Amino acid sequence: MRYLRSFGAFWYDFLIGDRPELFVGSIVVLGLVWVAIRVGLEPVAAGGLLIVLVVLLGGLSIWSAIRPRS
Amino acid sequence: MTLLIAALPAFLASIVEFVEALTIVLAVGVTRQWRSTLLGVAAALVLLVVLVGVFGSALVLLVPIETLRLVVGGFLVIYGLQWLVKAILRAGGAKAKHDESAIYEREIAAMREEPPVAAIGMDWISFTVAFKGVLLEGLEVAFIVVTFGASAGQLGPAALGATVAGILVLLVGIAVHRPLARVPENGLKFMVGLMLTTFGTFWAGEGIGVEWVASDATLVALFAIFTVASLAAVWAVRQRLGGRHPVTAGRPAEGA
Repeated sequence: MRYLRSFGAFWYDFLIGDRPELFVGSIVVLGLVWVAIRVGLEPVAAGGLLIVLVVLLGGLSIWSAIRPRS
Repeated sequence: MTLLIAALPAFLASIVEFVEALTIVLAVGVTRQWRSTLLGVAAALVLLVVLVGVFGSALVLLVPIETLRLVVGGFLVIYGLQWLVKAILRAGGAKAKHDESAIYEREIAAMREEPPVAAIGMDWISFTVAFKGVLLEGLEVAFIVVTFGASAGQLGPAALGATVAGILVLLVGIAVHRPLARVPENGLKFMVGLMLTTFGTFWAGEGIGVEWVASDATLVALFAIFTVASLAAVWAVRQRLGGRHPVTAGRPAEGA
């Protein structure tokens, strides 16, 4: 049980770590673009949307790290 | 070109991780027993090679390339953004930079608190600390080698890139016999983060049905866009912090 917990903790730290928004956000971004293509967005335009969303996600994570805390 | 695509990220990431592993290995070897320390290093390296071989081959042989690129691309976007965001925060002064010399001193102090080394036979503390240190740092390299190698169909060159980096760090470490504090770790992490995010976006995009306008040449454009955005972010962080002292941005500082 202890090894399982350590194994889980390793992967949590590895993929999520102290920036969970990047883990969740990346999945949401890819999901959004997938849905956008399925509802009719041109696949070439979807590439542009994906780039913008990835840049926004990185920016959001940086902003959350440097914003003043009360 | 594809050879370089697979080998370069693995090479750069390996330098960063092996420099960190070398600090731990040196601290253990200097304060305790070199023989057991080096056995711990060897055991960890063997396990890493087995992991890369087994998982890399399994991925290439069993998973269709489209599925592989979607899953691997998704992981690379997550992992690449983590490296990149941390490197941006460090470059902007919002997070303390990695200090190998300070880490080395801490490891030395921790080792001196352990029970004395046995006069004969194995020193299991040396073995375990060196094994864990190399394995944990090396797993990040293994992850990059397996994902990049499998997706680009170049597992061999990716593994070779990591091996060359490992040997290089080891040789320099033996020569100078102290932590490699002058390696520009944050610059390397910045570059690796950019590469992982670029390839992750490209492959994950293909996996969900995106058509890249310039096919493979889009990779260059993606890299340029992410580089400009990252440099702008570093500038914005510096502006935001102004003259304030570097901080850990309200979250616990940690390794990678």
